[in-house]
Amino acid sequence: MDRALRRRLEARFGDRLTGPVRQRHDETEIRVGPGDVPDTLRTLHDDPSFRFEFLSDLCGVDTGLVMQVVYHLWSETTTDWLRVIADGLSRDDPRVPSITSLWKGAEWMEREAYDMFGITFEGNRDLRRIYMPPDYTSFPLRKDFFLADDAARSPGAGVRHQEQTHTPRNAPPGRAIRVAKEA
Amino acid sequence: MTTSHEGPRLRQQSQDDPRVMLDIDAGAFEPVPPYPPRTEREAEFYTLGDGEMFLNMGPQHPSTHGVLRIVLKLNGEQVVDLDPVLGYLHRGVEKISENSDYHHIVNQLDPLEYVSALFNEWAYVMAGEKLLDLQVPRRAEYIRVLSSELLRISSHCLFMGWFALDLGGLTPVLWSFIERDEIVEMLGALTGARMLFNYFRFGGVNGDLNHEFMSRLGSWMSRAASHVEANTGLLNENEIFVRRSRGLGVVDRETALRMCMTGPNLRATGVPFDVRRAHPYSVYPELDFDIPTRSEGDSLARYLLRVDEIRQSLRIIDQCLHQMPDGPVMAKIPRKITPRPGRAYAAVESPRGQYAIYMMSDGTDQPFRLRIHDPSFLHLQSVGLLMPGNLVADTMAVMASLDPVMGGVDK
Amino acid sequence: MTTVSRAWSRLTLPGKLIFTLIPLLAALTVGLLVALLLIGPFVWTFLTDNLPLVRFVIAATAVLLMSIPTAFIIIYMEMKIIAQMNLRIGPDRVGPYGSLLSVVHGLKVLVKEDFTPTGADTPVFTLAPVVVYLGAVMSLMVIPFAPGLFGQDFNIGLLYFFAVGGLSVVGLMMAGWSSYNKYSLLGGLRSAAQVISYEIPLTLSVVGLLMLAGTMSLNTIVLNQSGSILDWYIFRQPLGFLIFFIAATAEANRTPFDLTEADSEIVAGFATEYSGMRFGFFFFAEYVGVFIVSAMTVTLFLGGWNAPFDWPWPITVNPDPGSLGILLLILIGVVPVLSTLAFAAPFWLLRSNMPGWQALIIGFVISNLVAVAAVLGWAFISFDWVVGLLWFMLKTYAFVFTFVWMRGTLPRVRIDQLMGFAWKWLLPASLLNLFVTAGALIVLNR
Repeated sequence: MDRALRRRLEARFGDRLTGPVRQRHDETEIRVGPGDVPDTLRTLHDDPSFRFEFLSDLCGVDTGLVMQVVYHLWSETTTDWLRVIADGLSRDDPRVPSITSLWKGAEWMEREAYDMFGITFEGNRDLRRIYMPPDYTSFPLRKDFFLADDAARSPGAGVRHQEQTHTPRNAPPGRAIRVAKEA
Repeated sequence: MTTSHEGPRLRQQSQDDPRVMLDIDAGAFEPVPPYPPRTEREAEFYTLGDGEMFLNMGPQHPSTHGVLRIVLKLNGEQVVDLDPVLGYLHRGVEKISENSDYHHIVNQLDPLEYVSALFNEWAYVMAGEKLLDLQVPRRAEYIRVLSSELLRISSHCLFMGWFALDLGGLTPVLWSFIERDEIVEMLGALTGARMLFNYFRFGGVNGDLNHEFMSRLGSWMSRAASHVEANTGLLNENEIFVRRSRGLGVVDRETALRMCMTGPNLRATGVPFDVRRAHPYSVYPELDFDIPTRSEGDSLARYLLRVDEIRQSLRIIDQCLHQMPDGPVMAKIPRKITPRPGRAYAAVESPRGQYAIYMMSDGTDQPFRLRIHDPSFLHLQSVGLLMPGNLVADTMAVMASLDPVMGGVDK
Repeated sequence: MTTVSRAWSRLTLPGKLIFTLIPLLAALTVGLLVALLLIGPFVWTFLTDNLPLVRFVIAATAVLLMSIPTAFIIIYMEMKIIAQMNLRIGPDRVGPYGSLLSVVHGLKVLVKEDFTPTGADTPVFTLAPVVVYLGAVMSLMVIPFAPGLFGQDFNIGLLYFFAVGGLSVVGLMMAGWSSYNKYSLLGGLRSAAQVISYEIPLTLSVVGLLMLAGTMSLNTIVLNQSGSILDWYIFRQPLGFLIFFIAATAEANRTPFDLTEADSEIVAGFATEYSGMRFGFFFFAEYVGVFIVSAMTVTLFLGGWNAPFDWPWPITVNPDPGSLGILLLILIGVVPVLSTLAFAAPFWLLRSNMPGWQALIIGFVISNLVAVAAVLGWAFISFDWVVGLLWFMLKTYAFVFTFVWMRGTLPRVRIDQLMGFAWKWLLPASLLNLFVTAGALIVLNR
């Protein structure tokens, strides 16, 4: 838990953060809006007091209310992992600027987030599906993904019982999707 | 989009009735997608220049490290560009985990990097322990380190054998598999399974060390070092092997950092980044070992680096055995695990690189989001940068030197 | 129904077979006898007038037939020896120590489905294995296995060997192109480039030896090396031997030069689309090729069928059984029985629970083996071709073992490294060898 890091982050990015800097165990978390992502990450990468040169992970999250893109960074200057959350993407058309200009290795991670959530990364040269076949129409990791729906549209639809289009027997009317509880 | 084949259009006989000729272009398989290119990169890749052709190293191939499809754009024997196509082993582990109890997920995560399964479990239980605010007993930590380092040696032995096999030598695979066989038997005596262990739990490990494991470990340790020297001596001084792997697939420091490579592939380029030292976890701060680093960045350096890592792992195992404390092997946890709502990120140093789990919990007994970050995924991305200019025969050699495991790549 | 058809329908299947075949056989025999009587004398005079032709036909057939068991033996050797090097066991189920496995493989390729892929050029596709196999087997004609035991002794035998060896390139290219498959194309091109590049150092390395021997006839070259081990050409042309061995490894597509069949890169190279007996042809052709290059190395550089020291034999033993008279008949009746009993007795006496008939069988087998060994020993000491054949086979199989050893140990080289090696190293080395030999000959003859 690096308090000095927290102070530096608040000093540098105070106006852009959409929430407090949270720290727990060895992780520090900041939240920014989607448009601020490239600037923030570029500053974190280039600034000699931060030097977060190492992109550890890039993933998408569907909280049930909004979508988020989560970046994990590592630097030699601090003992903590830094988590940057691009918060507040709409669930209908989530868009975030791409960071492939900073780290080329993020290209496939963004492709995976697109494939699984439908998040469009603007500026990614190769935003096509990576795991699912190219003609797949759903985004599997979204909370409103319903397998039977999706399977009903596949070429093998109706062959087996679970591929017929129907709602689950125990589902409440107006099916609820799981929503995250923020700590 | 142009295709390279402009020959006569052949029609295929139907398998059901040989009198019927189907309206399918037979025998002219071109691995181009059946729709116009949708992205810039697709357009760039799937248009052929002068004298170029596509070669499909399909999901069934004697040498890809699992089911992987690579489309090569060749100019004669030289590779101009390549496009890996993934998804043949995609099992939806992340989605399944969202509907599973926390206990079940340990078993789900084993088949990801199936060659070294304990590291997958370790990252997960570390993330869970952060959310549960659990303290793991020291004996459990030492057992975790011991079993993981054994598995690291086993995975690197597999790599050595596979690398030599992709270059054409038949013998090193079988010699390395002797080591791997013994280690796998050992871990089978300890955990109950030979390959997908399901051994780590939140708060510790599933069972204590037993007599059979210790006796096998003792007899193996007494000859491990000499075996390793014998196996590596077969390849290190072989002129053909060295000439084929030196200067092959060179990665320099900046490229490696930009491509987010980790593990031995990054350390072979000169960056001494090892999660065990950069962001220490478990009892690694108490153990004395070096981080081997090389600066050439070619396949030979990656190979030699992994051999050095085997030696360092032997040191660590030795220290674990000497410093093993007494005590319980598992902390007290409730039967139904409900972590506090929050997020946790935990990373371990697997034999391939940094393996990380990002877990979001919402207070119930099923995780809200389980993100698996696998190192082989990013290494495969780099193959596209390393190959152009090399020959077809080197495609497999370069891929083998990066040591990907498709289970992790495809999740 | 007539009587005949009623009787026919009452027969069982064996009966029907007998009643069809016996008249057929009778008719055939009578026809054969008549033909023999009529044209026999003409055929006989023709054959006796053209004895060399007869000899050639028999030799060619023998060579062709001999190539298949050789391939079987070498395949088995390779599987077993590489297994031992890999610390495994290898085949050990089919036959004693797995020795019949190659035979089973041969039968398997015969019964596999033999199809032509869609889009392949069928006549070329079908003929390619034949051409490759021909190129391998035809070179066996000139190799002298023993004194007097060779197919044909051309006075340009060596040139014939190299010419026919190049025929296989055509076959490989035919296979690669006609398969309508990019992997096969790559494999065919690679192999053509490889074989052509290595033919030049191969032929040039032997020119020095030709200058020393003065002839291209292989039989004469072997005769020149008779005497002791120091007469073998390897001591007079060491560099030539080395270059020949390396170039021959590349010609035979063996590791470390086996990229044409590199199954970790291009599946099976030019043979990707082949199955069944067509693939069997490629398979056998490769192993016969191994035998051929070993045999050629031995013939040219290691003295062929000569023993390392002056063989003091053949000793002619002239048994004259007729002089024994009636004793011969008694011996023929008594000796087998006596020897069976003699060899059975120790087993029956020493093992108390062995039934008598088992001991007798063992005794019979052992006495047969002893008789065969005695005959072989007599042949060994009285026929010089038996001795020569034995030495030749010993040396050749030592080289075959070396090829198998290299396959188990070495990785393979890349195509550009392979070509670079041939053109930048082997070719200048063979030219150097040539000039040094020529210079030495001039200097020493003066």
